[in-house]
Amino acid sequence: MIGLAFMATWLPAAASRQAEGVDGPFQGLYVAAAFAVAFAAGLALAYVMLFRRRDESARGAPAGRPHPLYLGLWTLLAAGLAVYALVAGFPGFLDQTVPPYGAYPVGVTARNDGFDFTYPGGHVADTLHVAVGKPVQLTMTSEDVIHGLSVPAMRVHQAILPGRQATAWFEATLADTFDLRSNIHGGEGAALRTALVSHQPADFDEWLRRVSDIFTGRTLAEAGELLYNREGCKACHTTDGTRLVGPSFKDVYGFEFPTRDGKTVLVDDAYIKESILTPNVSVVAGYEPVMTPYEGKLGDKEIEAITAWLKTLSSKGGAAEEAEPEAEGDPAAGDGQEDK
Amino acid sequence: MSDRTANSPLGGYLSAAVPGGWFATRDHKRIGLMFAAWTTGALLLGLMFGILPMVRSLGGMEDDAGGVLRALTYQRLILVFMFLAPAIPAVLGHFLLPLQLGARNLALPVFSLWSLRLYAAGLVLALASVLAGGVSFGWTMPTPLSLTGDGVFWLLAAGLACSGFSWFLVGVNIIVTVHHHRAPGLGFFRMPLLSWSLYLGAYLLVMSGLILAIIVLYLAGARGTGRGLFGPDADPLLWLNYFWFATRPVVFFALVPAAGVVFDVVAGIGRKAVTGYRMVVGSMIALLALSVVTWGVHLSGYGQAPHLTFVFSVLSLLGAVPVALIAYSLLATLHRGAIACSAPTTFTVAFVLHAGIAAVMGLFLASPALGAYLNTTMFATAQIDYVMWGGVLGAFLAGLHFWWPKMTGRPVNHPVGRFGAFLYLIGVNLAFFPQVIQGVGGAPVDVGALEPGPTGLTEIAALGWLFLVSGLIVAIGNLVGSLWVKEAAGDNPWGACTLEWTTASPPPVDNFAVRPAGGDPYGT
Ligand code: HEC
Repeated sequence: MIGLAFMATWLPAAASRQAEGVDGPFQGLYVAAAFAVAFAAGLALAYVMLFRRRDESARGAPAGRPHPLYLGLWTLLAAGLAVYALVAGFPGFLDQTVPPYGAYPVGVTARNDGFDFTYPGGHVADTLHVAVGKPVQLTMTSEDVIHGLSVPAMRVHQAILPGRQATAWFEATLADTFDLRSNIHGGEGAALRTALVSHQPADFDEWLRRVSDIFTGRTLAEAGELLYNREGCKACHTTDGTRLVGPSFKDVYGFEFPTRDGKTVLVDDAYIKESILTPNVSVVAGYEPVMTPYEGKLGDKEIEAITAWLKTLSSKGGAAEEAEPEAEGDPAAGDGQEDK
Repeated sequence: MSDRTANSPLGGYLSAAVPGGWFATRDHKRIGLMFAAWTTGALLLGLMFGILPMVRSLGGMEDDAGGVLRALTYQRLILVFMFLAPAIPAVLGHFLLPLQLGARNLALPVFSLWSLRLYAAGLVLALASVLAGGVSFGWTMPTPLSLTGDGVFWLLAAGLACSGFSWFLVGVNIIVTVHHHRAPGLGFFRMPLLSWSLYLGAYLLVMSGLILAIIVLYLAGARGTGRGLFGPDADPLLWLNYFWFATRPVVFFALVPAAGVVFDVVAGIGRKAVTGYRMVVGSMIALLALSVVTWGVHLSGYGQAPHLTFVFSVLSLLGAVPVALIAYSLLATLHRGAIACSAPTTFTVAFVLHAGIAAVMGLFLASPALGAYLNTTMFATAQIDYVMWGGVLGAFLAGLHFWWPKMTGRPVNHPVGRFGAFLYLIGVNLAFFPQVIQGVGGAPVDVGALEPGPTGLTEIAALGWLFLVSGLIVAIGNLVGSLWVKEAAGDNPWGACTLEWTTASPPPVDNFAVRPAGGDPYGT
């Protein structure tokens, strides 16, 4: 009975819409199960004391058969408990299984040293931020061993297996910071523990806009490198002189190259801009015109950043002017720069 | 029949000169006793590894997370595979099955000897792997984590394979004995429930033992060569499915014989026939059958297809009915018995409480939405602890105290035994109920002890371990101490009716002077 009173505090305070689907059956089952166990163990104790052997030569009552009424009731009760466990858990199960249409997608990558959360705009963070009242769907994978993603307050517990895609979703109902971690042992040194921050929707938009601006807190060249990693240039261009599908970015800026149609071009700011936006206009000799045009995907400022970064990779890049990192949260810098 | 002279050496099979002495003996009783010694060793190791994380969270130890992870890994591996699964069949099964069936020995004495040797080898190898630098990837040995990382896994794998093969031999031995060595007139439905439960559980010992041994060897192979069924390219769910397919039944084929023990104990201490005998047998069959098709409840939340999770939920929840029928019979058998106020009585009450808690926790874990939440929390850890420390150990101790006079010919000091049982009961609940609470709060499965627990709970659990250990010391010390009592227990101190009580205590080498005839098991 004391347990019944305390039980309510065992579950972390619920902070998601689907917590109900877990808490409801938990509380119902807890009450029923506590009664069942207390009854059975209490009866055993009572019988042991009540039917204590008082006389050394006493024998128990002659063999009896199960009492049909009591047996029937008892079995019905047990079956009822099982049916309750199934039925009460079912809505929550459906809810967990089927994410709502249009849920806000966040990609999750788990690694021994932490989580990466990738937002639709391409921003990657190591804590998970969500908006209150907006369902969030997590699509998760692991890069090394089995990890998990657990936010007890949201009643989200999901294992993340390498080579597989796990999904989970939830809708926060409270703006606060919650514990987020892996509940699955990932070996010595695995450190998958971070926070889930749920914001009011307006605060969330503001947060996302601020962090999505890649120029905040970075030099131009650093932003360029980030774009190189994020926009897929990496797949075709190396930075160490190795040739892939496309030429390496090492020693490109400021050098001259023959093109397929026999001309020679000097790689300067204008040529880089052209090569990124409409790469098939002049194609470097020895390569196929397979690069995807980035027209409409990258803005001027981003191309400027890539150019600044390419300069740092070149021996003829000149004194690659190190621009000062821009002021934190400059709203103008973000405008028109939303990725993809 | 019996040698009742006080001051005598222990007598019976214990002091007779038999071929093979103790270490190459094929006598089921001697092997049963040696199994008792070895499994007690496994239990002590498990205790030691269980206390270590507790000491650390109380700050009594250098902060060594790696060491604690290794301790947690070995605690579970040794307790589950070397105590929980084999203890009752290997100790009580070896000792009692032929006696209950009116046979001279188990059917395959060579299997008896080799099952003991393999078991001992398994425990020694597991210990050797600890000393050689243990593994820390957790007792479920999930790939790909178990394919890398420090630690000498092949020693451990060899040890686990040895125990798996040992289960296999024990199981085959029990099955063959039941089929071929029952006394004349002792039909299947005249076997005492302990014999029944051992017989039924034996099929799963055979199955799980072989699967476990083989998959662990495959895993060691994959770890060594980087290829194979469980290699780095394999889907991690593959290992988990194999592992739980082999391990899920363990809980059941450990608890079913535990229930068998408790039924015979209750019939003995209450001098009363079991109510609903056939119903119990049927329920045991149902439970064991369900255990083979419910491994997937451990995989909810692991990316198992939702409809499978649902099917597994339904199948495991079905188990509530046979469990209830068994509980009904047990209580009905206690009802209007002439119950002796003895150590086995207290252990029996403890068993009912602990097995009951473990069973209802199973309902939580099998409930669809709730299971996905609790499955990766300490709640799941606590359930296995309740099964092991609470259910199986409780029944094992009840049985050990009940049959001790038969095994050794010496009486048990019951007040001391009951005191031990009482400490044990308090200890189990103080030590493991905090885990239930932490689990509901979301603390991670298996390694929850690494987390700083909520204030007070860790202290309560530590106190519980203290009680648990003291209870075990009192109980086991009491039993061992009885060997120095210069008084004979008598052939049938309980006034029980099953066949083992018709021969001398301790039994002679050949068990029965005259082959007994089987009748109704509980003498109705
Ligand atoms: C599908 C592979 C592929 C991707 C992705 C790709 N490129 Fe290219 N890129 C090429 C190829 C092939 C060439 C050479 C042919 C040409 O000039 O069109 C090239 C040429 C260039 C050149 C001219 C180099 C020179 O030596 O003249 C620049 C600059 C360039 N890419 C920048 C980028 C940037 C920036 C990105 C990412 C935003 C990118 N590329 C993504 C394949 C790719």
